[in-house]
Amino acid sequence: MSLRMTPGAVVIGSLAILAAVVFVVVFWPYASTDYTPSEIYRARSSVEDGGRAIYIANGCVYCHSQSIRAFDWDLGSERIAQAGDYVADRPILLGSERTGVDLSQEGGEHPDDWHLAHFINPRYTRPNSIMPRFAFLGDDKIHLLTRYVQSLGLKQADHRMARQVYWKQEAIKAYEAGPVANVKWLAEHVPPGWRNLANPYPTTEAGLARGHKIYQEFCIGCHGPIGDGMGPAQPYIYPPPLNFTILQGREISGGILYYQIMNGITGTAMPYFKRELESQKIWEVGNYVAVYFINQSDAGAEPKGIPSAWEP
Amino acid sequence: MSKSQFTAIQTNSTARGFCLTSAFWMVIATLAGLTAATELIAPDISGNVSWLVFGRVRPIHVNLVLFGFVTPGLLAAAFYFLPRLLRTELYSEKLGIAAVALWNVAIAAGIIALAAGHSQGREYAELIWPVDVLLVITFALLFWNLIMTVRRRQEPILYVSVWYACAAVILTGVTYCLGNVVWKPDSGALVGIPDAILLWFYGHNIFGLLLTPLSIAVAYYVIPTAIRRPLYSHTLSLIGFWSLLVVYSHIGTHHLLQVPVPTWLKVVAIVDSIAMVIPVMVFLINIWYTAKGSLGEVHADIGAKFVFTGTIMYFVVSIQGSIMALPQVQRVTHFNNWVVGHAHVGVLGFAGMIALGGLYFILPRITGKPLYSRFLADLQYWFVFLGTIGFTTVLTIVGLIQGNAWLNGEMIYRVLPELQIYYIMRAAVGLTVFVSALIGLYNIVRTLYFNPGEAA
Repeated sequence: MSLRMTPGAVVIGSLAILAAVVFVVVFWPYASTDYTPSEIYRARSSVEDGGRAIYIANGCVYCHSQSIRAFDWDLGSERIAQAGDYVADRPILLGSERTGVDLSQEGGEHPDDWHLAHFINPRYTRPNSIMPRFAFLGDDKIHLLTRYVQSLGLKQADHRMARQVYWKQEAIKAYEAGPVANVKWLAEHVPPGWRNLANPYPTTEAGLARGHKIYQEFCIGCHGPIGDGMGPAQPYIYPPPLNFTILQGREISGGILYYQIMNGITGTAMPYFKRELESQKIWEVGNYVAVYFINQSDAGAEPKGIPSAWEP
Repeated sequence: MSKSQFTAIQTNSTARGFCLTSAFWMVIATLAGLTAATELIAPDISGNVSWLVFGRVRPIHVNLVLFGFVTPGLLAAAFYFLPRLLRTELYSEKLGIAAVALWNVAIAAGIIALAAGHSQGREYAELIWPVDVLLVITFALLFWNLIMTVRRRQEPILYVSVWYACAAVILTGVTYCLGNVVWKPDSGALVGIPDAILLWFYGHNIFGLLLTPLSIAVAYYVIPTAIRRPLYSHTLSLIGFWSLLVVYSHIGTHHLLQVPVPTWLKVVAIVDSIAMVIPVMVFLINIWYTAKGSLGEVHADIGAKFVFTGTIMYFVVSIQGSIMALPQVQRVTHFNNWVVGHAHVGVLGFAGMIALGGLYFILPRITGKPLYSRFLADLQYWFVFLGTIGFTTVLTIVGLIQGNAWLNGEMIYRVLPELQIYYIMRAAVGLTVFVSALIGLYNIVRTLYFNPGEAA
């Protein structure tokens, strides 16, 4: 073999290859990047940037991506990421692993008080979460971090936040008007068709057991183990979580529970669950609440139509 | 290879320094990994302690594994074999020791900064600017030492291990500067999509231009030396070296297939990720044909045993990597623990095992005495081996559960409870690897300093 490797061949040759590679796959894409902002873009405020620094310092990026793909279903998947969404991101925080949800569009998904409870201990609002507690940050940093998280999604986040702020006021007004007015307010926002929807699931022992499990995984942090609204998140949330045990005789139908669980109550800490829970799961957790906490259930009530083969 | 007749007294202080560096940081690195793994099972365990929070512990684990344990381990072997392959002394042991010291200062400072919440937030490029500068200076010192040794060589022919070691150090010095955007001290980042492209060019090349070439250099030295046979083919060495540099270095965008980066860049990354089969198989064929018929001698030397196992892991991780670059595969594997499993085969199974192999191969030759305990070295071998297999199996299962569930429209939160049992197994595997690091540190320190063995 006549090919001789000299120190010059190794060092100069390697560097030449690296230079060519950097030019083609790094510099060329860099130089030809279109920095036109997308239609959802707006600049972040200095407070939001302060929150972003806390996000980086604490490694939030290792569990939360900001990169929605065309085939995603989870949080934020209504908008597929575009290059123009990231034009102010230094560094870009796409993430490489989703131990938690993607946060591209988290802004305005929840009101601020939900985030406070969640940062103090994520399990207060999401019992199965494996996110660390961030109480150590202290109030000021949690505030900054919340402002950043509420800005994720930029203009779309602002739109959702405006809705949260408006309905927060309405919900507080209703809560402060007393339990009777509050329950009436909550029920009246459910469209009549949903209010009168026949409850299609019987309250069987198995169904209630499944509802119990859903309740523990999704509801217990705010509404508490006995449904009195005194879960561990309660001190951080206003208006406070609903106390189910006062609802007997107030015409709370299965359809109302179904609708409120499905859509949530924007402005309050009650999120929508239509992404995470399919129809049967929502009915059954509603039946669990109705049977055990309200002690009044319309499951299986007339009119039923032709009995389903499901029914025992 | 040319067998060295070189017998002058060598102090090997630089190699010793890197041995201790690697053995020590392996303990801290695996402890950080075990801590992070435990936090995924029992998240409240970090309590209200800021520096214990998962998001700070994870980059500590990753950076320590890469720059604390594996790279110094491989450099230890390089600083041992380079003078021998060149039939000369190391240009300067003092310069070498200075580099070792600087390296340790940089790593310690970087880790303390990460724990205190000073991070640049880009994977493998988290370390803050002053640490970046220290590391780049260290790379420059290392390269100066290596290249001056090459210039003073008595041996006219440069053996393949020398090419890889010199190229790895100089190329990583350059890519480290680029990837960490050292001209932007505050952020260490570009803006927007180009930042992602640069980051994964760099991140990918921590494996492609640092760990892999150094591991290959060690394998090319250890296997032929242990079995006392020449390398199978010089031509394959040449093809493997140049094709590795050309192909490995430009496919980092396969980390960004689901991101709005230019399509042509994705196409290049996918196609040439498949082309990675060439440098990988050329090297493996060369080293496996060299060892053909001599596996008994490989097995008899604990260093060679580690290294040879590392080459098998290289096969696994590389073929898996090529497959993972396919968009259809990535729809399932991206964003979940499959990739974490892949990383563990690569960095623990391949580069980590070869780093340990290098250490155990050179230690008896540096000290002139047998290892303090061959049994403990074997024990560490099996713990690391089972650890690699364990991580791969468990994390691949977790990744498939996550990826397929998500693709079918299942929510991340709903899948979490299904993963816990695997997270428990993963932490158990992590405990095994942590114990192996403790065993290794004890054995290496005893071999170097409190070795009762008779000089050979």
